[in-house]
Amino acid sequence: MSMLSRVAERLYWMSRYLERAEDTARIVSAYNHLIMDIPKGAEPGWDIMVQILDAQPHFEQRFRTVNEQNVLKLLVADNKAPCSITYAIQTARENVRTTRDVLPEETWELVNELSLFAQEVAPNSVGRRNRHAFLAEVISRCQTINGLLLSSLSRDHAYRFIKLGRLLECADMATRMIDVGVGDIAERADRFRAVDPLLWGALLQGLSAASAYRREVGPIVDRQAVVNFVFLAPAFPRSVKFCIRDIRNELGKLNGSEEALKVVGRIWRRLQRLNKQAMTQAELHTFVDEFQMQLSNLHEAIEAAWFRADRQ
Amino acid sequence: MRALNCFIDDVYNAQKILADGIVPADIVLESANYLGPCAGVSPRFGAWAHICGSDVVRDHNGQFFVLEDNLRVPSGVSYMIENREITKRVLPELFENYSILPVDDYPLKLYETLVALSPRARRRPNIVVLTPGIYNSAYFEHAYLAQGMGAELVEGIDLFVGDDDCVYMRTVDGPFRVDVIYRRINEDFMDPEALRADSVLGVPGLIRAWRAGRVAIANAPGAGVADDKVIYAFVPEMIQYYLKEKPLVKNVPTYLCMHDKDRDYVLNNLDKLVVKPANESGGYGIMVGPHSSRETHKKFVKLIEKDPRNYIAQPTLALSTAPTYVDGAIAPRHLDLRPFILQGKDSWVTPGGLTRVAMKEGSLVVNSSQGGGSKDTWIVESKS
Repeated sequence: MSMLSRVAERLYWMSRYLERAEDTARIVSAYNHLIMDIPKGAEPGWDIMVQILDAQPHFEQRFRTVNEQNVLKLLVADNKAPCSITYAIQTARENVRTTRDVLPEETWELVNELSLFAQEVAPNSVGRRNRHAFLAEVISRCQTINGLLLSSLSRDHAYRFIKLGRLLECADMATRMIDVGVGDIAERADRFRAVDPLLWGALLQGLSAASAYRREVGPIVDRQAVVNFVFLAPAFPRSVKFCIRDIRNELGKLNGSEEALKVVGRIWRRLQRLNKQAMTQAELHTFVDEFQMQLSNLHEAIEAAWFRADRQ
Repeated sequence: MRALNCFIDDVYNAQKILADGIVPADIVLESANYLGPCAGVSPRFGAWAHICGSDVVRDHNGQFFVLEDNLRVPSGVSYMIENREITKRVLPELFENYSILPVDDYPLKLYETLVALSPRARRRPNIVVLTPGIYNSAYFEHAYLAQGMGAELVEGIDLFVGDDDCVYMRTVDGPFRVDVIYRRINEDFMDPEALRADSVLGVPGLIRAWRAGRVAIANAPGAGVADDKVIYAFVPEMIQYYLKEKPLVKNVPTYLCMHDKDRDYVLNNLDKLVVKPANESGGYGIMVGPHSSRETHKKFVKLIEKDPRNYIAQPTLALSTAPTYVDGAIAPRHLDLRPFILQGKDSWVTPGGLTRVAMKEGSLVVNSSQGGGSKDTWIVESKS
């Protein structure tokens, strides 16, 4: 049984937005822990969060000063900004609403409940006191939905497009995490070098990668090792390499995947070249930038091959 | 139903009934429901309206009347099935003592009706349900029927017409030919190429593909020509004309405001009549004379004088009532019954139907868009 392009596209976006909601919650949560550990005067600026999540235009529309309160208002509770957690959840819900018949029965209920929860609780979760509980709940509910799909969805087209969406979003978010570290450290004076490991540690936590890193690399956290781990760890499912390899596997099962596979091939070769070489901060920043461009090319190739109305 | 299909087939082809003066030609050909692009087409089995919901009422003498025939996109069949589901759950004891004819095989009967229309002889023709989308009030029913038939639920953007005049749906494995479209969008929105150019719900070229016989559409475009409250008044004559039979269930007496004599009567007796626009559905634009104020009467006098063709009037029937659960107590409420009729290769009528209830005390307006409720209805097999 084939699948309507429109349905495939909605499943793909549902999955991307769910992953985005979860990952944004993780990043905000990790940053939140970090700022409490860092000595006064060395705090990373909140504007980095805005930059990392491509939120500048929306931020500038609503606020003039960059501070914790405003950034969180935008990222947690703004229904209209595509970078916010509530927006991502709403959009995921709208996409499930019209595709529920190809998903396990409980999917719609879980996503709908998550959306009701976010609408109700997000506005009161901007302050430091309630923030953590809200973010943790969002992460846990997203994981429940992912678990349901993993355990009950037939391995057909529906599963494939959901998986592609999740993997691509996950790879994208991992590269954004690296950018947080690079961007922050580049701006900070040398006298605060001592807090670097704290920062990278927090980023690992943001990817739920802290314990995997410790077991594979060891307890010492430094920039080069974290970058290598996040990009190249062969067995960690949120590493960029792992995501790209899985994307390649899923693409191979679809008709008409030639163009998309070519883009994946280019991404793969770039990852191979990254191999363990030491890079300056500026070089790393450029690398991440270009890598994100390639991921966006991959999205366009997927869109052109399976979603676009004018292709046939 | 057979007579109505004969009528539709006739007016888009030989137009005998018009030539013989049984139905005045101008009220058919000048009707907004007469679609020029449909002329000259002969759908299989002579069937245009494959799915019909006829509203039946009973008056104070217990006599049944046909109130109207919905031939465009009649809805409510999913409520019929769900109501039965709920009755089984809430009152299971009742089913022990009676032999009640089942209604839940409707999606299957609909599937069989649609399969027989397929232009290609295939074991499983590709049937789709065409919906205007999630914001339509009957979207639930569209999804329900699609699932019940194992058919794809599509929107206009999912379909396109190829250079070979075949209809295809866009899938991740490329174009996939469609054999039968069960359409749940209004006919004027179906094809921006042949009908309303501003439609974003339709599929450009759909009428072309249908005329070429490459795809079957149920109900066929143009079927709405018989779904007009003025045409309704002529249904008994059609039955006589085409089938040489007498109607089994009477029509409600109908005054056509386009006739001077009828109009005079209507304008002088507004307080006794129900006035309806000829070309609306969902209970919009109706005036129930005895329940309306003098101002409303005056407003309708103006409306009727301005556009007499578009108004009909019928005597206010004392609709039958049934005990209904309202605010914690049982009270009588007026109702009507809509059985669904399928017609194609064979004909079939649901053993039951959608019973609609006017929830307001004394009200005669049962439409769900006007706050009406619904009930389960049984056809009980008698012991003989």
